[in-house]
Amino acid sequence: MSERIQQALTAFEKSLDRRLLAALEVCARCGICAESCHVFAAEPDFRNAPAAKAEAVRRFYRRLHDPIGRLFPWWVGAKDLTEADLEELAEIAFGACTLCRRCTMNCPMGVDTALIMRATRAMLTAAGKAPEMLTQLADAAIAREENLEFFREFYIDQIRELERELQEQTGDPDARIPVEKAGAEILYVALSGAHTILPAAVLFHAVGADWTLSMFEAANYGYFLADLQRARAIARRIVDEARRLGVKEIILAECGHAYTVLRWEAPNWFEDFPFRVRSIIEAAAEWIQQGRLPLDPSANPEPVTYHDSCNLGRNGGLLEEPRIILRAVVQDFREMSPNRAENFCCGGGAGLVAVPEWYEKRMRAGRRKVEQIRQTGARIVAASCDNCRLQLGDLNDYYGLGIRVSGLIDLVVNAYLAARRMKATAPAAPVRVSVQELI
Amino acid sequence: MEVKPDLTLDLKGLLCPMPVVKINQAIKNVPIGGVIEAYATDPGVMADIPAWCRSTGNELVTIEKQDKVIRFVVRRLK
Amino acid sequence: MSATTLWGWIVLIALGLCIGGLGWRLYGLLARPYRPDRAQPRGSAWRGIVYAFTWGMMPWAKESTRRHFLPYVRGVLFHLGIFATLATLAVSPWRSALPASITMAGLVFTGIGAVGGLIGILMRIFDERLRALSHPDDYAAVVLVTVWQAAGMAFWTDPRWTAAFYALSALTLIAIPLTKIRHCIYFFFSRFFFGLFYGRRAVLG
Repeated sequence: MSERIQQALTAFEKSLDRRLLAALEVCARCGICAESCHVFAAEPDFRNAPAAKAEAVRRFYRRLHDPIGRLFPWWVGAKDLTEADLEELAEIAFGACTLCRRCTMNCPMGVDTALIMRATRAMLTAAGKAPEMLTQLADAAIAREENLEFFREFYIDQIRELERELQEQTGDPDARIPVEKAGAEILYVALSGAHTILPAAVLFHAVGADWTLSMFEAANYGYFLADLQRARAIARRIVDEARRLGVKEIILAECGHAYTVLRWEAPNWFEDFPFRVRSIIEAAAEWIQQGRLPLDPSANPEPVTYHDSCNLGRNGGLLEEPRIILRAVVQDFREMSPNRAENFCCGGGAGLVAVPEWYEKRMRAGRRKVEQIRQTGARIVAASCDNCRLQLGDLNDYYGLGIRVSGLIDLVVNAYLAARRMKATAPAAPVRVSVQELI
Repeated sequence: MEVKPDLTLDLKGLLCPMPVVKINQAIKNVPIGGVIEAYATDPGVMADIPAWCRSTGNELVTIEKQDKVIRFVVRRLK
Repeated sequence: MSATTLWGWIVLIALGLCIGGLGWRLYGLLARPYRPDRAQPRGSAWRGIVYAFTWGMMPWAKESTRRHFLPYVRGVLFHLGIFATLATLAVSPWRSALPASITMAGLVFTGIGAVGGLIGILMRIFDERLRALSHPDDYAAVVLVTVWQAAGMAFWTDPRWTAAFYALSALTLIAIPLTKIRHCIYFFFSRFFFGLFYGRRAVLG
């Protein structure tokens, strides 16, 4: 057995807990999961069915852990793990599965194929077979903390520029984007770049929130690698910052996997986790329901549909909040079919959008999503995950959909600024959407 | 002294992490010691590109913002 | 000792082996770490778990089972037949004392199970997808359980089939922990984890 195989199997054994073992053992190979997978739905080759993808893992699992697999491997389709298998598994676990769990919802046994694929990703990362780009992005995030003083100056400069834009947009010369403000109630963790900072800053200003912007970005490529060490190191930067500043709450930018990491996974990684974690869409929905945001939906007159991010929706439970927001801020909201927990993955999740060599693959995998969008006739597709937005933008170009992709918060800000303008020009009652209408 | 680039990339309009992804792709097309010049608009590159250079062991020759456009130059060392 | 009594003892020994084998499988599972989610839940874990074992198993509850309605119902009937055949085995020593209604119910349910199994065998042989997924173990397991159910049916028709039914029962019991049939114990864990996950996250339940 080569050293690489040894490393792979050691990592796999570390992942093998009760949930994973049950998922590996329980599949009855009925195959009805096939069409639930967006990859299979786009390319109905049975090798793309979740059961077939997981079978590639079960083969070596049985060889190691099943007495029949050890004695008569041909009888149960067991085989030793080889270097060639690692290549095939990398194509499957990183390139043909976005860990969306749609198959799990559709499996009579509840087989958690995403869990199997995560264990496989962990194994491949340990064996040096993970996509180079994901590794580099994870390491770059870690390097940013290790050289924080070097980055601080760049970052603060950027924020001061954004602050000027904020002041212009809100018409308030005192509007601020606080950074490293000790004792603030909220630590807002954006993504790299301005597009998730400025709209959130407008909202925080609108509701008078006591907030501060994180020095770090919410994205966690270590999580995509299923590399616990890297994922924790990246998450720790934010958790330590939140502790240092003494905030009560972490609010995350519109990002699917960041929500999974900090809302659901990080409390398992850190002993001391004394703050609430929410997505900004939960906060925005709450502020809308409380009537704290004057909104003018005529600012968003075009038909809008919503793409449920798998991390936020099916795997995070944020199914109604986006709808509360959209019904308040757009004039013509149209549901995709299927939607909510049954929604199809866009095809770019779990890091696929960052791996250039899989561009064609993810364009094919997005076909089902393209059909869903076309059926709505919407001109704007709202998505509350940056990964999804990148993929939807690429699908738009590739398939000539003629749509515009937008974040939910961008639509809220449009409606809010329009309502403010309306109030400024005609100081009658601002347009408010009643809470009853939203439920 | 201004370095003559082996490759110039227009990354304007791309949001992070795509500029990093594109640089990583492009750097394989220049020889070791070769230089890439790129133009981007997402302010995130001001942090992401230096961090990527540090973690991959490549050299950030310069990074500067001119109005809304960020110009940076990376030298391939590995 | 009559042949039936001898087979009866063999079944009891097989039952012991089956329980021992499943116990060993269970130990293998429980010896693995359990990593509970410590994040503050959004919804009720118990509602999710109850959903996973009840409403969530209904043929209309999932897109996949709505799409593959008949194959799913076939699978449900096949598994009902398995429970009926196990019940048949349990009450078999008292066959002659049982009321006709029980005999009829046993005959019907084991028969339905056997037909479901037969269709399952044919599907696994002729459906290209299932064939691609299947190993010899999958074919052997469904054939064995189907023949066992057919023997159960035969037992209700004519007591002369008792020895054959017992022989097949012994074989099936021994096969449970060793073959694909062992998914019967993992099912409960898998659905439990499924319900726990989606219940805590307020997605289902």
